[in-house]
Amino acid sequence: MLFLYRWWERYRLGLVLAILCLGGAWAFSRSQGVGLLEVFRFVSGPAQPDTAKQKQLVDAQTWQIQQQMADLEARNQALQKLLAQDEIKNKKAIAVAILSRSGDNWWQQLTLRKGQKDGIEVGAVVVAPGGLVGRVTTVSPNTSRVLLISDPTSRIGVIVSNSRNMGIFQGQSSKEAVVTFFDKDPEVKVGDAIVTSSLSRLFPPGLPIGKVKTLKLEQNYNPQALVELSVPISKLEWVSVYLNDQTSSLPKAVSSNP
Amino acid sequence: MIKPLPFRKQSLLTLNLWNAVIIVGSVMLCALMSLLRLPRIGMALSGIGPNWLLVWVVTWSIKRTSVQGILAGICLGLIQDGLTASQPTHTVGLALVGLLMGRLNKKRFIQEDFISIALIVFGLAFMVEAVAAFQFGLGGTHQLRDVWLHVRQTALSSAIMSSFWAPVVYFPLNRWWERYHRLLGIE
Repeated sequence: MLFLYRWWERYRLGLVLAILCLGGAWAFSRSQGVGLLEVFRFVSGPAQPDTAKQKQLVDAQTWQIQQQMADLEARNQALQKLLAQDEIKNKKAIAVAILSRSGDNWWQQLTLRKGQKDGIEVGAVVVAPGGLVGRVTTVSPNTSRVLLISDPTSRIGVIVSNSRNMGIFQGQSSKEAVVTFFDKDPEVKVGDAIVTSSLSRLFPPGLPIGKVKTLKLEQNYNPQALVELSVPISKLEWVSVYLNDQTSSLPKAVSSNP
Repeated sequence: MIKPLPFRKQSLLTLNLWNAVIIVGSVMLCALMSLLRLPRIGMALSGIGPNWLLVWVVTWSIKRTSVQGILAGICLGLIQDGLTASQPTHTVGLALVGLLMGRLNKKRFIQEDFISIALIVFGLAFMVEAVAAFQFGLGGTHQLRDVWLHVRQTALSSAIMSSFWAPVVYFPLNRWWERYHRLLGIE
């Protein structure tokens, strides 16, 4: 017992400090780093300069793409007899600045400068001029974390815009990604657009992702295509986040209908 | 032998408080820096920044025991988990870094200058990437071929950037801890 007591007397402070450090780090890890991100958001000030100009530009481009998309989807609906029209009418988005990039080299993530308070929810779709960017995975009051489509864990059901051949899209941690087709002999050529398919549960159908760059149709298992992402993700400063219509009133909302 | 600097007894608490503030502050700063990519001032190479938390663990454990090194590795690994994703965890690689550094310092073959620190960080950055690759490969979410491709693309950039920026963390922290230990009369 005396031995134990002596040991305790000697290492008491170190042990308590070690447990405190481990506990703190564990709590931080459990909280998904929310506190630090909120501090970062606070320290880095309200917003960057010439935001108004950038926002205007992003809004204009978002509006243009949404118009094109609404048009295409409307035609598609008539053909496919889908009843998704209400969803398109109610679709709203906000323009959000990017706060930071991923915390290591392995995950392809972004942190945005808006969160729950602005109506962003887990699973919200994130787009930018050019097409799909990713999906919100965690939110804090003023920040939200986005898993990019370029992450290898992002797998999306896609179709070739022209021939309607279906495939699975997978990120490659770079500007390029791989689409694996289901058919043995898909009708696809270099330059074809790849869009999200209606079978994808995480993303609305018809969002552009990229263009086919090279084809590897002689694969033993399934034919593949190398796709160049249409959004220059590494250069992005602003993105648009889709909101669900049940969220609060949105002064900055960009409606898909003029 | 370095003579302990004279200091008043009542300043012991202040000194320890300062030490705690510097430790927590520098870890927080490293965590925030790891979220940034600033290619304009040379803080990113093909989209990959320095592994700041690795540099911190190396700086911490170079003059401490392996147990302290492992502990710091686990704590900073958990912090990095919080900043990215906890599956697979970052604690394994960083704890290994702490262990190795704690072992290394006993053999006394490290010169404490910028060049050897940069070289150590260079090697350990490769090791951290290799451990992460191993974890991702075993995890099943990534295909081995993709993991191998990714390691080839990122490991070298990460090692170069980390060793290049290592003195920024190492120099001030090491100066402070030298001073701190001298004031305490240790070593």
